[in-house]
Order: sequence, then C-alpha cells, then structure tokens
Amino acid sequence: MIARSVRAPSGETGDLSGLSLLRQLFREERVGLLAGSLAGLVWMGARVAVPKCTQLAIDRGIAPGDTQATIAWALAILAVGCVAAVFTGIRHWYANIVAKKTERRVRQRLFVHYQRLHVGFHDGVPVGDLMGRANSDLAEIERLTNLAPSTIAAFVGLLAVTAILFATNAGLAALSLSTIVLLVVTTVRFAKLLQPASAAVQLELAALGSVVEDTVSGMRVVKGLGAEETQRQKLHEVTDSIYEHSIALARIRAAYLPAYELLPLVGIAIVLVVGGGRVLDGTMTVGQIVGFSGYLLMLVYPMQRAGLMIPQLQRTLVASRRIAAVLSVEPAIAEQPDAVEHPDGPGAVRFEHVWFGYPPVAGQPALLDFDLSIEPGTSVALVGATGCGKSTVTRLLLRFYDAQEGRIAIDGHDVRHLRSADLRKLIAVVFEDSFLFEDTVAANIALGNSEAPRELVERAARLASADGFISALPDGYETLLGERGYSLSGGQRQRLAIARAILADPRVLILDDATSAIDSTREHEIRQALVEVMKGRVTIVIAHRPATIALVDRVVMLDRGRIVADGAHEDLLATNATYARFLTGRSAAS
Amino acid sequence: MRGSGRKPLLSRGALGRARPLLRPYHRRITAAGCLIVVWLVGSLSTPLLIRYAIDEGIDGHDRHALHVAAGLLLLAVALTYVSYRGQLILLNQVGEGFLRDLRLRVFAHLQALSLGFYDRQQAGVLVSRMTSDVDALSNLVQTGFFTFIASVLLIASSAVVLVVLSPVLAAACLILIPPVVIASVWFRRRAAPLYLVIRDRVGRVLGAMHEGLAGVRVLRAYGAEDIAIRRFDAHTDELFEAHVAAVRISMRYMPVIEFASIGATAVVVGTGGLLVEHDLVTLGTVVAFVLYLSNLFQPIEQLSFLLQLVQTGQAGLGKLFGLLDARVEIVSRAGAVELPSSGEIVFEQVSFSYGAGVVLDEIDLTVAAGERVALVGPTGAGKSTLGKLAARFYDPTAGSVSFGGVDLRDGTLGSLRDRIVVVPQEGFLFTGTLSENIRLGRDDASDADVRRALEAIGALARFSALPRGLETQVESRGARFSAGERQLVALARVALADPGVIVLDEATSSLDPVTEREVEDAVELLARGRTLISIAHRLTTAERADRVILVDGGRIVEDGPHAELVARGGRYAQLYSSWVGGKAVDSPTIEPAARDPNGGAV
Repeated sequence: MIARSVRAPSGETGDLSGLSLLRQLFREERVGLLAGSLAGLVWMGARVAVPKCTQLAIDRGIAPGDTQATIAWALAILAVGCVAAVFTGIRHWYANIVAKKTERRVRQRLFVHYQRLHVGFHDGVPVGDLMGRANSDLAEIERLTNLAPSTIAAFVGLLAVTAILFATNAGLAALSLSTIVLLVVTTVRFAKLLQPASAAVQLELAALGSVVEDTVSGMRVVKGLGAEETQRQKLHEVTDSIYEHSIALARIRAAYLPAYELLPLVGIAIVLVVGGGRVLDGTMTVGQIVGFSGYLLMLVYPMQRAGLMIPQLQRTLVASRRIAAVLSVEPAIAEQPDAVEHPDGPGAVRFEHVWFGYPPVAGQPALLDFDLSIEPGTSVALVGATGCGKSTVTRLLLRFYDAQEGRIAIDGHDVRHLRSADLRKLIAVVFEDSFLFEDTVAANIALGNSEAPRELVERAARLASADGFISALPDGYETLLGERGYSLSGGQRQRLAIARAILADPRVLILDDATSAIDSTREHEIRQALVEVMKGRVTIVIAHRPATIALVDRVVMLDRGRIVADGAHEDLLATNATYARFLTGRSAAS
Repeated sequence: MRGSGRKPLLSRGALGRARPLLRPYHRRITAAGCLIVVWLVGSLSTPLLIRYAIDEGIDGHDRHALHVAAGLLLLAVALTYVSYRGQLILLNQVGEGFLRDLRLRVFAHLQALSLGFYDRQQAGVLVSRMTSDVDALSNLVQTGFFTFIASVLLIASSAVVLVVLSPVLAAACLILIPPVVIASVWFRRRAAPLYLVIRDRVGRVLGAMHEGLAGVRVLRAYGAEDIAIRRFDAHTDELFEAHVAAVRISMRYMPVIEFASIGATAVVVGTGGLLVEHDLVTLGTVVAFVLYLSNLFQPIEQLSFLLQLVQTGQAGLGKLFGLLDARVEIVSRAGAVELPSSGEIVFEQVSFSYGAGVVLDEIDLTVAAGERVALVGPTGAGKSTLGKLAARFYDPTAGSVSFGGVDLRDGTLGSLRDRIVVVPQEGFLFTGTLSENIRLGRDDASDADVRRALEAIGALARFSALPRGLETQVESRGARFSAGERQLVALARVALADPGVIVLDEATSSLDPVTEREVEDAVELLARGRTLISIAHRLTTAERADRVILVDGGRIVEDGPHAELVARGGRYAQLYSSWVGGKAVDSPTIEPAARDPNGGAV
C-alpha cells in the first residue's frame, strides 16, 4: 500500500573505491596469497626446467650415446616432476582457500552491513540488487583471487621462457617469437571483443528471468485472462535474442581460442626450417631444437591466461566498485554514543512539532508540524487516505527514519537518545505484510525473545487465536515454516505475527493494518484477542475497517501530513462530516 | 516424447532423455563430427611431422625434408584452425538451440499446468528452473561438450598412434597409467558427493541472505538482527567448510596428474635413450613421444574437472524433466467446440477434491446470464474452488459445469477465455508499460481500445494524468502504484477482454475507504450486462449482489438475496451481524446509502 518511489541508495559514491577494497582484501590474505604465489613460482620453475632437461638428455646422453648421462637426465626430469607435482598442489590449496576465505569474509561483512543500514536505505534498494552484490559481484572477486597466484607464476614463466630462448639462440628466438607477437595482438583484441559480447548475453538472460518471474508470480492473472500466448511470445523473443547473442559470443571465442593453441605451432615450423638448417650447419644441436619446440608450446598457457585475465580484471573492478559503494554507505540511524537507558515508565508517546519528508525528494513533506500526544495505556487509530502520513508516524516512532525537525519522545525521552535495544523492547509492531522466517513456529513467535519459556509462547499464540491451527500442524509448535517447510495462509501468518507482538509484551504496540489479510468472516474471532492485547499499553492501530476502528479509544485522522480530526470514533461520526464522509468513501479523493 | 526416448544406452537418466530434443540438430551434429575428425588428424600429425623433420631432415641431412615438414606443419595448422573453429560454432549452435527449445518447452508446460500446481510450488523454485537450472546446462553446452568429446578422442587416438610408433616405448609408458586411473576414480568418487553438498549449501546461504533482507524491517523492529547475523554466519561457515573439503580432495588429485605428465617425459627420455642406442627407435620417435604425452595428460585432468560441470548440468536437467513430467490437467479435447457467446452457468452434481478430502460435495447451482452472485463462506469452505470451477481452472471430480448448455470440458480453451475471465482483484503488474499491462492477453487491441477500457471503468482520468500517461513504465512490480491503482488496472484488463462472465476473486487486503469506493464503482460499471460471480471476502460485496450463496463444508448452505437471508435469521444472518461487530452496527459502510450502485460514478 506504500506508493513511494524507489530511491537509489544514498552515498553511492562512497569513499571506499573498488580498487582500495581489492587492495584491502588482498592485504588481509597476504600470507596465503604470498604462499600461493611462491608455490606457483616453484611449480613454474620446475615446468620450465623440463624442456631444458630434455634438451640436455638428448645432447649429452642420447645423441652421443652416453647411457649414464641419459639415465641421469631422465632421473633429473623425474625429480623435477616431483617438485612440480608437490608445488602445484600447494599452489592449488592456497589459491582456493584464500579465494573462499575472501568470499566468506566479504559476504559476512556485507550481511552485517545490510543489517546495520537504516530502513530508509532498504526502502530504496531492491533486495535483488543487494543479493547480487553479495553473490555474483562477489564471485568476480573470488575468481580473481583464485587466479592470482597462477597468473603471477604464468607471467614469470613467460619471461623465463623468453629469456631461455634468447640465451639459446637469439636469432632463432627472435624469429620464432614473432608468432608470439601475433598472439599478444590476438589476446588484446579477444579481450576487447569478449567483454561486450558476454555482457549482451547477460543482459538478455536477465530479461528472460524477468519474463519468467512475472509470468510465474502472476500466473493467476495470466490464466484468468487466457494470456498464455502473450507471455509465450515475450519469452520467444527473449530466447531468440539469447540465442543470437550467444552465437555471436561463440563466434568470437571460436575465432580466437584455436589461435592460442595453433600460433606456437607456426613458431615450431620456423624452428624446424631455420633451426634444422643450423643443426645441419653445426651451429645448433638437435636437443636445442627439441627444447625450443617444447618452450614454444609452453607459451600457450600464459598467453591463454592473459586472454582470460584481462576481461576478468575489468569485471572484477566493476564488481568491487559496486561492493565498495554499498559498504561505504553509512547507517544514517545509529545508536548515539551517549544513548541512555530507558527507565521504567508508563509509555507515554509524544510527537512535538515533527517535520518529515522522505529523502531525497524535496517536494511535499510526509508530516508537517505534526503534534500528537498519546496517554499511557490508551489506544489510537490512525486513519486517512493512502499517502496521508499515517504509516510515517509509526516509522518515525520505530526510528526507521529520524524526523528532520521536532522531536518524538517516549516518557519524555527523545527516541534518538535511547539505546536501540531499549527502544526495540519498548515497541513491538505487526506489519500488514507479516514476515515469517524459515524456522519453527515457536522460534518465529519468539523472535527477538529467544529464551522465552514455552508456556509464554503458547499463551501468546492463544491470545492471538493462533493455537488452534498451530496444534493442527504436523509438528505443532516445532513445525518448520518457510521454503523448505510448511507454508501458512495469509490469515494464519498474520495471527503468528500478532502472537509475536504479544510475546514481546511491549509498552507500545503498533498494528500496521495487521488484520487486513484475515478474512472478514473470521475477523471477529481475533477482535477479542486484540481487545485483550491492547489492555494496559499504548496501541497505535492503522486500519480501514470500521469494526477495527471501533475498538480503539480515540481516532486521529490525517490528511497530507496534518491532523484533520481527533476524537472518539462515535463522537467523530456524529460531529465530524469529513470523517464520516471519509469512512463511507465519499470524500473527494484529492 | 515418452517411451521412445527411454534408452538407457549411452547415459542414464536425464542426459538420455535429452537426446530426443537434439533430433532437430542431427545435421549440424554430423557436420561437427566430420570436422572433429579433421581436427584430430591435424592435431595428431604435428608430432609425426616433427619426428619426420628430425629423422629425415636432421639425421638424414636433408634440407628438403625440413621444408616439407614445415610446409605440411603449416598446412596442418591451417586445417586444425578451420575445423576447430567450425566445430566450436556448430556445437554452440546445437547447444544454444537445444537450450532455447528446452526453455520454450518448459515455459509452455509451466503455463499449461493447473493453478493447483502453483499452489503447491514456490514461485522462486519455478523461476530457478527456467534460469539457474538451464544456466547450469549452458556451461556444459558452451565448453563442456567440446572439451569432453575432444579429450576422449585425443586420448584414445594418441594412445593408438603411440603403440603404432613404438610398441616397446608405449609399453614403458604404461607404468604411469594405473596411478592416473586409480587417482581419477578416487577423485570422482570423493569429489562428486562434495559438489552436491556445496550446491546445497550455496542455496542455503542465498536463502538466509534473502530472508535477512526481505525481513529486515521485522528484524529491526524486534531488535533481532544479531540472530539473523549469527545464523547467516553459520551458513557461510558451513559453505566454507564444504569448499575446504573439496579443495582438499582436488589438491591431492592434481599432483598425481602433474607428476604423471612430467614423469612420462622422464620415462620416454630414459627408455627411449636406451632404445635409440640399440637402434630400436629413432630420436625423432622419442621426441614425438614426448610431444604426444604432453597432449595426453592435460585432457585427463580436464575430464576430471568436467565432472562438476556434468554433474550440475545433469542435476539441472533432471529437475527440468521432473517439471515436464508434471501432468497437464486442463486440455482442449479432440473435437472441442466453440462455447456459445452467452448463456447460464449450470453446476450439476459437482464434486471436487484436490486429492485428500472433499472440497465440494454434489453442488447444484444455476447462475443466470447477467446475474450477480456473491459466494461467501469461511476460509476453506469451498467458495474459491466453486468460482474456479466455473472458469475451468479445474475440472470437477464428478458432475459437470456447463455454459450455455455446453459442458466446459467440451469447449475449446480459446473460446473459454473469451467468454469467462477470472480476475484476482489484487492487481498484479507485469514489467512493461501500463498500456501493455492492460492489453495482456489481447495483443491486437489498439491504444484507443485500451483507453476505452479504462474509460468504461471510470479510471481513464486517473491514469492519463500521470506524466507519461499510459506509457508509464511499471517497475519492480508496480511499487510506484498504490494498491487501489493496481486493482483498477486488473479491472481494466477485464473491460478490454469484454467477456460475458467475470469471476472476481476479491482482494483480502483493505484499501482506504475513498479508494475502495472508487474500485467498487469500477466493479459496478464492469458488471453491467455481464454475469458476475464474486468470491467475496467482504460482506459489502454480498449486500450489493443479486444473490448471495453461502458455502460451508463443501455444500451450499443458504442461497438467496442478501435482505432475504438476513431476514431469515440463519447462518448468513449470524455471520453478518458478527461482521458488523455487534454494537458498532452503525458503521457507515453498511448504511443503505452506500449501496446505491450508480451513485456519483462516471
């Protein structure tokens, strides 16, 4: 029922940049990264030694027929193999562990941050966006971290191989490496083409998800109108588009990927002609030719890696910028350092000259110079048209938002100066959209009150007239709810939410359209429960049904952020034409 | 699709069932197969050409042989490139085409399934079938297919060439095969269950995160953030443990392959050296062996890591087929006829059950054309089911529902939705513009038609007043629109569809009285000249109807006009007096004035 606009997260341009986040993450895992990179270097060193050993085995053993030398070099290769094997394992271990540790750390940090951020932030950013940052964006960082040690090793290996080739025969090296120059050009072009092409596919996949989600969630509408063909047509268009973009991407990959494996072979052809000629001239050995060929083949790996890493780096930078942006949003509402404990009090609520407008829209404020005083133990219904500010009143009291001017006090204490935990204990709320967690029925009722004894939980359920259906559940109070568990009807969910509020036993109870999902033929069942619950505490009710409104001591009617009527329901009906007209739905809408 | 596709020959289960879906792509698959052969020949010839260059060119002091070898090598490179590239494109076309067909087929099936299926399934789960489960396959399609086929062929053919080149040397290399095979089997066995665990735990982490975000306001209000954080931390820790366990396995497996591939070089150099001395093989052969072996072990490792991809893909495919196996209940019969354009709805001895327990028990009911009927009764009494049967969302378990004398089961589905439309009043907005939203299911409607539909329910002015009018984009499920506006859009859709019968499933959540009045007026306008069956959640609706039908325990308990039933003093009268709230009877919504249907509208 809230029709406010979705706002962009404030502070997107935070002080933590993507790059500094990456640097910070790498610093936190520097031991593991260093260990992984060192292991990677040893592994690469061993790999680089293999063609050299082979070359020596041929030139010193096989070619001159020196059996002992042959055996010795073969054993040397075996030893090198042992080293390579051990260190590739170590590298693999560190690279993966560091990556997964980073993933876990950032994910936990993000979740804590999300839980600390003000509700105003959450009102402006869709859940999917925040999920994406902690999932697919984080995966890009994880991947980069994982690839870092082997990339460093590959790069050093590339330099080492080049150096060895030039040391062996500079002329031939220059000649055969000319193919590698082509490979570098290939890599750069490949990276440049790949990025937009795969981004296009991702975009289409997102569009597909949106069509499917719309259709599945709105299936009752689709079926009711017989609109299956409309939706099928939409999906058809998206799938065709996915197909075309995927094939475009595949064409790019198909053009470039084989080049990595094949260009070094062109280098080998050069080695055979030129190098072979030199062997015949006596200026080179057969072993050197073999070694040369082996090294040229070794270049495939680092070049492939580079082709992979350039787009990966770009993606990771974008992703870490998004993560850093959300991390650098400061919670706008936090406990003040000098917050005071709330002394026992009766729970008198006062709004004094409160002004409030939802950021960042400057236009019409939601509350204008709003004054309201609720005596301890009394109940008040807030009524008014959509957008009149009645929900804003409860949001300010809960400190989901802070007033821009004026103050809100409970028993004379400004809510901004109270400790958060105390404020939460003072107030409980039942929302229109009752949210249940994937946990047992009992745990859902005891939210925020986990050590409550079972008798109290059951008593709260009874008061909310929820014990009937709970006992009928397969495991009673221990029945698991949620995606993996049992699902309840809207009315049942709402009764659980009411039980939750009853158990919290607050000084101030807010019922934000809390009976709306309960069938009106059933509403009377819960009416008595509400009367019971309202006893001895301040209750603020947002409701539209006259029967619910009739339960409270006093009705406050709002219009565009101001109070336009205030009094007992019956008195207002009799004396206030605006109020009476409103309840019949007769007042001019604007 | 059943029966014929069930040959568990090549692969069991899901992959086997996917084969019929590949049938349209047989020509491309054959072409790719031919190119793979060319690619294989090109790849295998490289070491042979190098051997030729060394033995004939260098050892035989023949420069010409060197040039021939280099020339042939370049030719082989060119052939390999062309065939490699060609088959990558072909296989991707096959794979992406397969994914597209699969998506369309699953989607069509989803739309054909009855609403009962949707009541049992979580929307999120169904969406993930079409997204993440198909995505899991796409990785397999993009790289997996090719890697798998190429690796297997390369290993097999390299082995053959090695044996032909030098059986003795090939035999020496055999020592390395057992450890590699043992390690690979061990890895497969240990890693496979771990990957399943990881997938499951990733799901849990994301689930916990979603819960913590969607429920952030409740957590905040109850100061329960720390509980959520602790739970989330526990889930991420569990996922991390699973990752560590998996890395521990792969960390032991990788060195075996690495050692085998370098060890093979050592064996070839050592053994080969001795054989060269005794002139049993040439130096070129030894070099060729070294090159072949470097080709041989990489694919083995790749195959092992493909395991995860295959496993995820297979699991995804299995779930998709599970969905396709869900039975479609509502279908057009062979020889189905067009339903008449108007008529009465007749329930004859209708019983219905969703499985266990009877929901409707031998209902007899006739709704005349143009009549306005309100179905009332407690939750679970069967009133919603009754409404849904009238629109053939379900078929009765016994008895029949007919429209204008034709059994609904004998009518075509197309004509059914032209005559009878069901509206959840709780307006659901789709991504797109307002005008597209209203046009849902009536794609041929013009902009003028859309405006006329809005006009007909008295809501044109409200939506035209928006800055972009009917072209206003609906974002995030219409969060910018109020609940009342969403309901008006739902009603405008019906006005555009212009059916003879409307089954209106009333909204349960309440609107503020002013908006509610506006929506009620729209319903009034919509109902003129049409049959309206309301599944009523509020008794104001019942008051306005021509006839109230009280349903309880699967039977019609009372049937008659509102005033008559109240006067009769039966169950309905009881319900009514309890609803108006005893002493609060004066509440204005039930004053006679509020019942004037045409007052002040238009």
